Amino acid sequence: MNHRTNMQSDADAPVLSLQGVSKRIGSKWIVSQLSFDVHKGEVVGLLGPNGAGKTTTIRMIAGLIGMTEGDVLVRGSSIRSDWKRAIRHIGAIIENPEFYPYMTGCDNLKQYQRMNPWISRERIDEVVRLVGLEQAMKKKVKAYSLGMRQRLGIAQALLHEPSVLILDEPTNGLDPAGIREMRDYLKNIAREEGISILVSSHLLLEMEQLCSRVVVIQDGKLVTVRSINGGSGESEQPGQQEAMRVMFRVGRLEEAKRLLEGLDLAEVLAVNPEQSELILSLQYKDIPGVVERLGSGRIPIYLITELKQSLEDEFLKWTGGNQIA
Amino acid sequence: MRSFSLLVVNEWLKMAKKRSFFIPYAIAAVAAIALGWILQRWGGEMMSEASALDYTVLMAGMSGFGQMTAMLAIIFTAGIVSGEHGQGTIKFLLIRGQSRSAVLASKYTAAVLFTLSLAVWLTVLSFAAGAFFFGMDAGEAGWRDVLVAGGSSLVYSMIFMTLAFMMGVLTRSTGAAMGVGMASVMFSGIVIPKSFYKYVLFPNADLSVYSQGGHAPIQGMSLGFSIAVLAAYLVLFLVASFVTFKKRDIA
Repeated sequence: MNHRTNMQSDADAPVLSLQGVSKRIGSKWIVSQLSFDVHKGEVVGLLGPNGAGKTTTIRMIAGLIGMTEGDVLVRGSSIRSDWKRAIRHIGAIIENPEFYPYMTGCDNLKQYQRMNPWISRERIDEVVRLVGLEQAMKKKVKAYSLGMRQRLGIAQALLHEPSVLILDEPTNGLDPAGIREMRDYLKNIAREEGISILVSSHLLLEMEQLCSRVVVIQDGKLVTVRSINGGSGESEQPGQQEAMRVMFRVGRLEEAKRLLEGLDLAEVLAVNPEQSELILSLQYKDIPGVVERLGSGRIPIYLITELKQSLEDEFLKWTGGNQIA
Repeated sequence: MRSFSLLVVNEWLKMAKKRSFFIPYAIAAVAAIALGWILQRWGGEMMSEASALDYTVLMAGMSGFGQMTAMLAIIFTAGIVSGEHGQGTIKFLLIRGQSRSAVLASKYTAAVLFTLSLAVWLTVLSFAAGAFFFGMDAGEAGWRDVLVAGGSSLVYSMIFMTLAFMMGVLTRSTGAAMGVGMASVMFSGIVIPKSFYKYVLFPNADLSVYSQGGHAPIQGMSLGFSIAVLAAYLVLFLVASFVTFKKRDIA
């Protein structure tokens, strides 16, 4: 038994493991019994509406906030009882990265170098190159844009060669170009440095594009853990039995609707007269049948699109949508 | 030990890289030189016999600029902990694998060094200005008097700097730390002639009252008594700071 766990820990033990993490403030449980793992090289999203406990969780992982119950293991070291060893493997950006504005980027990084003296001068250069800030190192941080500060934040987090990067709302306040840049950096880092990333956000689209797995929490409790399958490749071969939602934009909407209602291949879910659209629920293999039927009625078809259940829809479903947390 | 001294270097750089860093030293320099000039010019009888050491004792002592040193030390170290909270840099500071006690101790060490440097700077400059304006002839005061004057100013400054430091940790507010520190410096001059008051910090803060055959501010006080009271307060301030800082949730 013992032998087996040892074997496992070498191969695919989680880099970061939350075990029943709970935080109580007063009589309110901000986070309760939260457990999940992050494995090597994985990008995991921590998703939840505002006030769900994302920031508290992230701060507990970094040891900034004490836990009421549970523990966090970072490469097997407990953040509670062996903080120094555990934190060694963590790099973090918590909310907006804040630096000493009156110092240059270089001086700021040197501050962190002095706190972990094993970091070499070369490592600083390497990290600065990775985030593309070579030109800005001699400038004072107060002259940096938010995007540059984010990059310096990443550099700061990578300095001591951590195994896992934890990021709290890393794209808050960035413009679309900045968000995209950030995403590219993070993917790059996960791939090239083999670092696991745990990123919290309430921005669903972003999570969809960045993460391979999302952990959804609400009111401090785990709602669900979902894998996000890689991008568009998925739609090519959907499950044969599963009904999918497809939008048809057609001419002569009423007539089209009547035609399809007589057909038991598809179910009309909704009619959208403004756009002249029909939303159907049907199986993948039945799409040609529907097209044939419409064609036989000489209905013009302008557009056929699969309506994918987006992460957003699912998210609202999981978290009970309309209630403001 | 080496890693701790690197932390102190960090804290020192955080102060020294600010553009306002030279201001307290400049204020002390201007004060030491300007007063020397004024006294030489218009001091008349009073200063005709004075020497460089006399002037140094006057300036560095509590009757001169001892209080000013305390105020400058408070103003420029009040933000050393609360500033990190205010700027949000505390988050990065506390996840670098250095214990919170070490981080806070490095900050306090830097604040002590700063206060010490101010006191030494003021004393050296006073002596230089005194030598220039009044010459090196032997006056009334000796080196021992300089030591007593400078030393008691230093103790005074350290006590109130530590009080402001604690307020900064407890309230996370630079304003509160500075306000309480400065107000305490103001109140320290007031002596309420009641026996309970001798256990209060204020009447004990100025140790120079015991030199030159001076008498205690309140009956029953002595040099040893005051040192004990000051030491107790110092320990209290530091314990409160460290306990709070270690336990605090960084939200």
